[in-house]
Amino acid sequence: MTAMGNPLFWKITHQAFFGGIAAAGFGVLFNCPPRILGLCFGSGALALAVRTFAQGHGMSLPAASFFAALALAIVDSTWQMAQSPRGSVIAVVGCIAMVPGSLAAKALMGFIALVSTKQGIDETLLSTTLVNLLMTTFTLIAIGVGLCVPVLLYPRRREP
Amino acid sequence: MQTFPEGIHPDPSGIPSLSDIARLALMVGRSMLEWGANARSVHDAISNVSLGLGCDSSEAFCQHAAIIVMLRRGEEGCAQMGKVGEHGVNLRRMQMLQEITFQVRQGRISYSETLSEIESIPKNAKSYPLWFVCAATGMACSAFGRLLNSDWNSLLPIMIGAAAGQWMRHVLVQRGYNVFLIAGVVSFSSSSLTVIGAKIAGSNTIQLAMVSAVLLLIPGVPVLNAQIDVIEGKPNLAVARALRITFLLLFMALGLSLARSIFL
Repeated sequence: MTAMGNPLFWKITHQAFFGGIAAAGFGVLFNCPPRILGLCFGSGALALAVRTFAQGHGMSLPAASFFAALALAIVDSTWQMAQSPRGSVIAVVGCIAMVPGSLAAKALMGFIALVSTKQGIDETLLSTTLVNLLMTTFTLIAIGVGLCVPVLLYPRRREP
Repeated sequence: MQTFPEGIHPDPSGIPSLSDIARLALMVGRSMLEWGANARSVHDAISNVSLGLGCDSSEAFCQHAAIIVMLRRGEEGCAQMGKVGEHGVNLRRMQMLQEITFQVRQGRISYSETLSEIESIPKNAKSYPLWFVCAATGMACSAFGRLLNSDWNSLLPIMIGAAAGQWMRHVLVQRGYNVFLIAGVVSFSSSSLTVIGAKIAGSNTIQLAMVSAVLLLIPGVPVLNAQIDVIEGKPNLAVARALRITFLLLFMALGLSLARSIFL
């Protein structure tokens, strides 16, 4: 099967495109300079492409998010070495598109629904809420660790 | 006589006192935190300024609402504490400030030049027009909607709801309202607008559209900063960040739940 005929290819393309738009949009919200908005788009697209590819090959959301954040951090570190030693915002903006905001919102809405119900505990809702909360927590940890790995592994560059 | 590292140009008005350098370092640290930097970047910036202006060593202790800076120069020592205001995200200002601190570290600008350049950042750093920020936020949230598998019919309602929410957030922040209250109000308004629009547009994924429209409130940069801070050994700041993030999300979820109970 060619790449074009592979459903995963289209899924990755779709996720990368909209991940790029989300990252660029948040780049504007965070007042990134216009010259790096394209890079924000690219970083969001890369992150979502890696994450979708990893999920397409059976990885869980936290594991896939870890590898996506790691890929972004490695590219960002390499880019910084080539361009300038200044701190980069590209990796952070790229990872914004992977922050599981909807899962966090669903988890908290689940908790609100649980405490506002008058008829005992809804076990299905409780388990869904807990799963969402755990997934959010582990995904966030995975993204944070993935972003930090290059900094932890390589000595920090100091200006002369 | 104080000797400066090679390349440092002594201030024409004389060598800056340690107290002045500490004040400058605090200004740098406070601005970095308020513009969305993690603790490592804050420490690096403070260190660049202090060492660049002739100090032998500098230590910084970042808290969420305050910074303590300790400087040494020969036999002299100075410790100062400064308050930090509301944490936001402004990456352009942060990058400009980092550039200035690197220039100080390399001895390319003097104390007085550094001070005036840092003070002029808010004036010199350009911002996008409000309509553009609102449109970009709307587009980002509708892209999130697609990432979450919401249908195409809900794309425009999400965009309008999120853009209106961003405009409302901007107005309320300008008026000085509490950030948690703003999160609740914006969440309710954005999700309400979106659910009405999504119903009109005939969307089958109204719940997803509602959630997508409030994702502008997810404090992504603080979330990542908290992660980085805790991994790099700054748990105090990370815990404070995490607590505020939790409350922000809680208010967001309250607004969302209220809109859901009214409109669905």
